[in-house]
Amino acid sequence: MSLLLLQSVFLPIILAPVVYFVGLKMGKNVGWLAFVIMLYSTGLVLYSGIDSDGSLFTNNRLETYSWNPVGEFGLHLDGLSFPFAAIIMILSTTLAVYSMPYMEHRVHEEFHENKKKFSVDAMNRKMALYYSLYVIYAAGMLGTVLATNLIQFYIFFELMLIPSFFLISEFGYGERAKISVMYFLWTHVGAVSLLAGILTVGYFGGSFNFVEIAESGLPNSIRIWVAIAISFGLLMKLAAAGLHVWLPYAHAESPTPISALLSPAMIGIGAYAFLRIFVFILPSIYESIVMAITLWGLLTMIYGGLMAYAQDDLKRLLAYSSVSQMGYIIFGMGSLYYLGVTGSVFHYVSHGTGKALLFMAAGSIIMQTGGIRSIRKLGGLGSKLPITGIAAMIGFLAIVGVPPTNGFQSEWMIFAGAFGGALESGSTSKLIIAALALAGTPITAGYALLTMRKVFFGTLPKDFENLKDPSPLMTIPLLFLCALTLLIGVFPSVITDNLIPLLQSTFGGMT
Amino acid sequence: MAEEINYLIPWLVFAVPILGALLMPVVARFGNRIRDYYAISTTLVSAILCALMLPLAIAGESFHHQVMWIAALDITAGVLADPLSILMANIVGWLSFSIMIYSLGYMKGEENMTRYWFLMVFFIGSMQLIILSDNFLQLFFGWEGVGLCSYGLISFWNKDLKKDYVGTVGEKAWGIPLAFSPTHAGSKAFLMTRVGDVSFLIGILTLFFFSGTFDFVKLSESHGWAVDLAQSGLLIPVALFIFGGAIGKSAQFPLQEWLPDAMAGPTSVSALIHAATMVKAGVFLIARIGPIFVTAVENVATIMPFFEFVAWIGAITAFLAASQAMVSKELKKVLAYSTVSQIGYMMLAFGVAGLTSDFVFAYTAGFFHLTSHAIFKAALFMAAGAIIHGTHTKYMTEMGGLRTKMRITFVAMTIAAGSLAGIPFLSGFWSKDAILASILGVESSLTLISLYAIASITAVMTAFYSFRMIGMIFFGKPSKYIKKMESDGKHVHEAPVIMYAPYVILAILTLGIGLTGPTVEGFLEGSLAHHLEHSVHMEIHHHEFSLNRIAVSTSIIAVIIGCGSSYLFYIGNKMSPNQVITSIPILSKLQNFFENRWYINSLYYIVFINGSLRLSKFTDKYIETGTLSKLNTVVPNYSITSSKYGGRFDRYVVDGTATRIANLNLFLSRNIRKLQTGIAEQYVFVFTIGIIALIILLG
Repeated sequence: MSLLLLQSVFLPIILAPVVYFVGLKMGKNVGWLAFVIMLYSTGLVLYSGIDSDGSLFTNNRLETYSWNPVGEFGLHLDGLSFPFAAIIMILSTTLAVYSMPYMEHRVHEEFHENKKKFSVDAMNRKMALYYSLYVIYAAGMLGTVLATNLIQFYIFFELMLIPSFFLISEFGYGERAKISVMYFLWTHVGAVSLLAGILTVGYFGGSFNFVEIAESGLPNSIRIWVAIAISFGLLMKLAAAGLHVWLPYAHAESPTPISALLSPAMIGIGAYAFLRIFVFILPSIYESIVMAITLWGLLTMIYGGLMAYAQDDLKRLLAYSSVSQMGYIIFGMGSLYYLGVTGSVFHYVSHGTGKALLFMAAGSIIMQTGGIRSIRKLGGLGSKLPITGIAAMIGFLAIVGVPPTNGFQSEWMIFAGAFGGALESGSTSKLIIAALALAGTPITAGYALLTMRKVFFGTLPKDFENLKDPSPLMTIPLLFLCALTLLIGVFPSVITDNLIPLLQSTFGGMT
Repeated sequence: MAEEINYLIPWLVFAVPILGALLMPVVARFGNRIRDYYAISTTLVSAILCALMLPLAIAGESFHHQVMWIAALDITAGVLADPLSILMANIVGWLSFSIMIYSLGYMKGEENMTRYWFLMVFFIGSMQLIILSDNFLQLFFGWEGVGLCSYGLISFWNKDLKKDYVGTVGEKAWGIPLAFSPTHAGSKAFLMTRVGDVSFLIGILTLFFFSGTFDFVKLSESHGWAVDLAQSGLLIPVALFIFGGAIGKSAQFPLQEWLPDAMAGPTSVSALIHAATMVKAGVFLIARIGPIFVTAVENVATIMPFFEFVAWIGAITAFLAASQAMVSKELKKVLAYSTVSQIGYMMLAFGVAGLTSDFVFAYTAGFFHLTSHAIFKAALFMAAGAIIHGTHTKYMTEMGGLRTKMRITFVAMTIAAGSLAGIPFLSGFWSKDAILASILGVESSLTLISLYAIASITAVMTAFYSFRMIGMIFFGKPSKYIKKMESDGKHVHEAPVIMYAPYVILAILTLGIGLTGPTVEGFLEGSLAHHLEHSVHMEIHHHEFSLNRIAVSTSIIAVIIGCGSSYLFYIGNKMSPNQVITSIPILSKLQNFFENRWYINSLYYIVFINGSLRLSKFTDKYIETGTLSKLNTVVPNYSITSSKYGGRFDRYVVDGTATRIANLNLFLSRNIRKLQTGIAEQYVFVFTIGIIALIILLG
């Protein structure tokens, strides 16, 4: 069983055509095939994390294959990549099930919108396309976080961008043609900048393999440009304030299961790449930019939160909330302290489950109310859609950082790291920034509670008398993620036990 | 004579209700009656488990059990059962149980009872988690758990019907409405306590950096962290930031504004959460960390500013809230303001503890008042619930003359109110007296005089509003509202047994503690002192119980002035309060000022809520949609319109990408021409194959 990770990444890609052809026959039920493929990959990733002594998720696994002339093609599961890989796969698997009823509904709706005549063939074609793109997209994300080589990383990075572009342009809402192009252009401006940075690092660093790159090989004169190119590319992906403009459009107008993958899982990969490249490969460049990163993170937290208040469209609100949450991740990455970075990685997990829950709950509302997304037109849904309501509440609690959700674990670590970093360096300004950032957290609580009130409480509009929760294919994924959110909150060791020692050895641990 | 308990008991005290609550939706499937009894029995089991720990508290000993939680950070989870936590756990456990019984009657016929029971039982578990935790991080789980349940229960009637509003709809101060819907009030409570929690987190995270632990026992065993903190000048700030959490949770100034509006929830909830237990969590926190800080510093004077701050916040809050209780028209709001005010007294006592040479005396006084207040305030709330249930109004002005109609409630409520007022030989008399006496031990005379003056004046106000309440409800003539009700054929009558039994028992308990006050105080002091001496290694002055003459005479005079004036206005009806107020302009101005909550609520709304909403709108208008978004749409629009294919630009991208990648592929290149004429789906397919081939070829 030496090909565990290789299988987990390539099996979905290789089987994508099979999914397509099976889909042409089976229609939406091809989702089960996609689900099984995803489940298998997830199982492989989780299994790889189990240590030989039986302790959970503390194992490191490295698979390498020669890949001339670029270097080595490797897949590496360690403390840093495991949380990302696990969440990407768990969300993709869960959403594969959720997508079946939702996308069928969406495609029907689309036939209706375009006044096209419905045919089983057309429906099957749509579903086949959706799921074949879906599995490639998921595998692309997984490959990105497991890559051990800069070129390999970039190829997978593209492999996730391009299917997501098609998923938006083919299945999205509203002006999806325009928005998908916008998405494509912005992310590729970022990707090209990233590529420029990566190629420079590889050229001067002597290798594209992560472990062989020598930071000392980079001439001083170009270091700042490398830092700018790579961080610009990744902050674009992370939707840092100012570079975020594409995100509300893309995430609001994507088909909802894709929003639930784009928003927490995909944009957070920017954080993974940032940590992998800067902390582990270019530590001295990292040290020179942390202050800027911290401030940018703080700005993003507050800006995204403020914008969330101004939204009436439920999905746009969630999109801005993602911007704000990415601010927390960016903020933690700038702490220059092992606990803060741990918090960032952990927050990717928390935001992953939390925001996925929220988008899925939004999807449930959109589907059951016949496409209503305007918060003003909603109300009192708690009594009619109780499972959706509970899921939304737990999702919000996770992003607000309230125990017993996993969001609390990640937020206290982020801020403990911020305070720790500030106190260790003895910098008063850093201490004030950390306190300011923590003082900004009620903004999240504010829009979360306000949204809960407007959507789930209050008077129920008359047309909604007969609404109920959607089918089990949608509610079971919701409940599953609720349980996961709470379990990781109570047992955070599954994330931290392998991650913290790794980061401690990098940053210098606790005395 | 070491007492032993099974290590599982303290864990089960909170695990039983928490897990029990999670099973509530499942149990609810077996029928409503089974669900109701199930909910109550989980709290009974938890209470009995608390009682099993009592021998430990009586012996003044403690029990500590830990398991590994986050191994990488050496963070443990654990339970700490010492006299403080065991006594507190018993108060919470048994009061919760009585209020759960009361709920059976009070909430009869309500919908969504599964949700109600879930939140109540989960609340009780979380509260016990706060009490028994041996570290800050685990305590914080309980801390937020109770906050969540509080939020859920305040917003219980979440349809936001006008009849469920708290406050009088239409009343405004500075243009800000003073009436709140249940879900508004719930969100407000959550958000305001969240502000306190931010401060709490700043405190414990900084402490964690210096000490490397959240564990209370480790913190009191090694004191290196305190030396380091003091050297960097952060000792007092850290203590104050932690106190910030207590300010939020216990509704102390300046975060007191959420509690009055929390009365939008069912009265059973107010009794349990917003009077007897959750709001005491902040006080408990200070009782928990106070001794740790005192023993950690070499010289007590280093930490004194912290205790002075606590004492002042307590005193200010006690006065501020009492002033509002004197003018409130709504029954539950009187009790809410009164709760805020009485918690101020407790804070005052725990603050004073660090300012005197006799730490344990003031510490016991604070804890004693916590105990007696928990009992009589729970009784007052439950009785108030019975009255509101019977009269269908929340306004005291619409009651009057009920003493003949609800005799049992009248007697029980009067005893409880008497205890609140501090009438001799009721529990509140002894505990309030102990607080006053402890203030007299403060070393700085200026602080002593000012704190003592505020506490005494507040005692007068307390006595006044307690009997103003009793007078307005039970004495005088029935109001027009009651008369109309009666003429409509709806008679006000006594509550059912299941409702009055709990508060009658609590009233008897109040009386019982009142008659044995010195013994109870002596017991508490012995138990707490023994523990502080042996576990926290504090120096203790043992002394016999004696009444402080100055304090006793002050509290008796306060009762006479307060009760006497309210007797004149509201019970004997010798004078009309309205006439007096209108004839003295300053009084009516004051009344207005107090009724508008000192304008603090309005100020917060204008600055923080409206301020941030306005900032959000402004940023959205000028930066987000005004600038960034325009920039953003210009680019793709331009690309699309200038492209030969116009709106079909996406196709162009598809073709381009697919072609370029497919070109690398020898197998498929022959078919490209054919494929280009196909539909988008096929391009995607080819693109995928191309990517795979690319990787394989390079590999």
